[in-house]
Amino acid sequence: MSTSSYTTPPAANPHPRLRPGRYGIAVAIAAVVVITLIASSLLNYVYLDTIPGRTSLYGLLAVALIALGTYIGVRAFTRDRASRRKHLIRAGVLLGLGTLLWLLVIDIFVFTQSAGPVVAAICALACLPTTAFGLFVVRRMDRNEKEPWRLVLVAAAWGAIVATSLVIWGETLWEQTAQRTLVPGPGLDASTAFSAGLLEELAKGLAVVLLFLVMRNDFDDVVDGIVYGAAVGLGFNFLESVAYMTNLYGIFAPEGIGWYAAGLQWYGRQGLGLFFGHTTYTAFIGAGLGIARQLPHKRQKAFAIVSGFVIAIAAHFSWDAWVQFFPIDNTLFGLVEIHLRTLIMTGPFTAALIALLIFGIRYEAIGLVDQFRKEAATGSGAILPEDVPVLASPWRRLKQRLRAFQRGGLRAYFEVARLQSAQLDLAMERWHRERQEIDMPLEAEDALRQRVIQLRHWVPAA
Amino acid sequence: MSSAPYDQVQTLYRTLLVFATVAVLILAVGLVEFVHFEPPGQTTGAKARIVGVFAYDPAKGTTLGTDRSAFARTEEFAAVVDWSGLPANLTVDARWYDAFGSMVGRIGPSTPAQLGNFSIVPVKVPQGLRHNLPGHYTFVVERLQGGVPVEVLGRRFVLVESS
Repeated sequence: MSTSSYTTPPAANPHPRLRPGRYGIAVAIAAVVVITLIASSLLNYVYLDTIPGRTSLYGLLAVALIALGTYIGVRAFTRDRASRRKHLIRAGVLLGLGTLLWLLVIDIFVFTQSAGPVVAAICALACLPTTAFGLFVVRRMDRNEKEPWRLVLVAAAWGAIVATSLVIWGETLWEQTAQRTLVPGPGLDASTAFSAGLLEELAKGLAVVLLFLVMRNDFDDVVDGIVYGAAVGLGFNFLESVAYMTNLYGIFAPEGIGWYAAGLQWYGRQGLGLFFGHTTYTAFIGAGLGIARQLPHKRQKAFAIVSGFVIAIAAHFSWDAWVQFFPIDNTLFGLVEIHLRTLIMTGPFTAALIALLIFGIRYEAIGLVDQFRKEAATGSGAILPEDVPVLASPWRRLKQRLRAFQRGGLRAYFEVARLQSAQLDLAMERWHRERQEIDMPLEAEDALRQRVIQLRHWVPAA
Repeated sequence: MSSAPYDQVQTLYRTLLVFATVAVLILAVGLVEFVHFEPPGQTTGAKARIVGVFAYDPAKGTTLGTDRSAFARTEEFAAVVDWSGLPANLTVDARWYDAFGSMVGRIGPSTPAQLGNFSIVPVKVPQGLRHNLPGHYTFVVERLQGGVPVEVLGRRFVLVESS
């Protein structure tokens, strides 16, 4: 639900006097993240391999720019129309600079060492369409109320840039300590898998936690949690794919099979594993947060959040630790084995996630239909009784928009889409209020209702 | 008699808890696996003397030059172990691991006395490749118990440069 998306009339609650306590938690987490990044970068630079050390040191500026740009960008949507554009431009410039700087750092200090910037750019370009497709599909999963693109992209960007920066130091430190103290073999593999599962899922999960704390109006339930978590996972998977592809190209190019090695990585991570690996893992964290969002008791909320993290860590761990027990033959049958391995090892987790998603969508739909009916019964005019069956069905909503398109072209299509979206927002707001899981004032709901009525005047009879 | 309608979020919550229980079991199995291969209290105090890592001539089966910590990927190299300092009742072996964790060279397992004549442990180029893969290589001398390595008696790291 996004009261913050509508600023004509002004946002329902643009300058709340009293901010909920969760903002304090969010600030504390952000501060810990920033301090950890600074400390780890300095430690890495001084004590560890200079290449990742330099990456994280110089990458700090990029992370700071991304964080500041994200903050300004997200907050811009709660401002009035006059100042929103100015803030969006500022956010765009900062995000652009941060992204460019980060890519520069990655290219120069990591990939260029082994394969050169051209190879890194080609690998990144190869991963862009698949990751974009993944984000499109993930966002479409929320059939009733799609999340704003800006937040889905923010989640993916944080997964790609901030989360990867957070884990560089931890994993390097863990790996180097383990290699110096443990017996090589399954024990060391298990230790490395614990490191990856624990550190990477915590780093990715922080982004979802921050969205949960700060963007509560756009974080409604388990479905939203799965969408945001999956988006973070896709972002992380993007950068990891680029890193592995470039690295393997550098290793195998002298043998004449550099592109083959990079291509196999691309297929494994961006084709076969696009929705199975990181996407599934982090989506579980989002699912836990989404379920916690609607639970009445603090103890249950805490259990749900911890459960999401534990499932994500276990899923990630099981792949990293036990993938060696499914060796791939160097024959044609190896191609079948690659697919079977992914299906057997990660498939059950993805299936479990899909089960949560389907149940979540159905539960959300039941809640919304109930609120459509109740709002229609008030006679406010925001939702009419004849709107209810249309709003209840994604297909009927689409048909209504297509009819508008036939009558009045694209403009009419989007006007009807905005009206439907506003009606869904209103129903979602009502649902949360009825369940006593909202901290926005009642004025926010009234503003949404007025917004719907206003849109209804603009839209010709659907 | 009336009852409050059942909140379906509770179904989601319980399903999540079931998944979390399975997840905890998975992590517990991982922990058991770790303890099995890294059993605590397996310190004998014995230390293997790794004489060094040298360039290697596979035709003659001998090492060349001085002890080094970095090699070009086109160079062949081997570790040299002095088995004489180890207690005779131990079962030991020596292994090379490449940057991917694959074993790329091994001697043993056997007793130090029987391995006495096999002091050179070369790295083998993986099948189908012309040269060694670049990255950090690990050489370990291990003590085995029940066929499983349980203690590292000596360790060396070597960098194979990519160019």
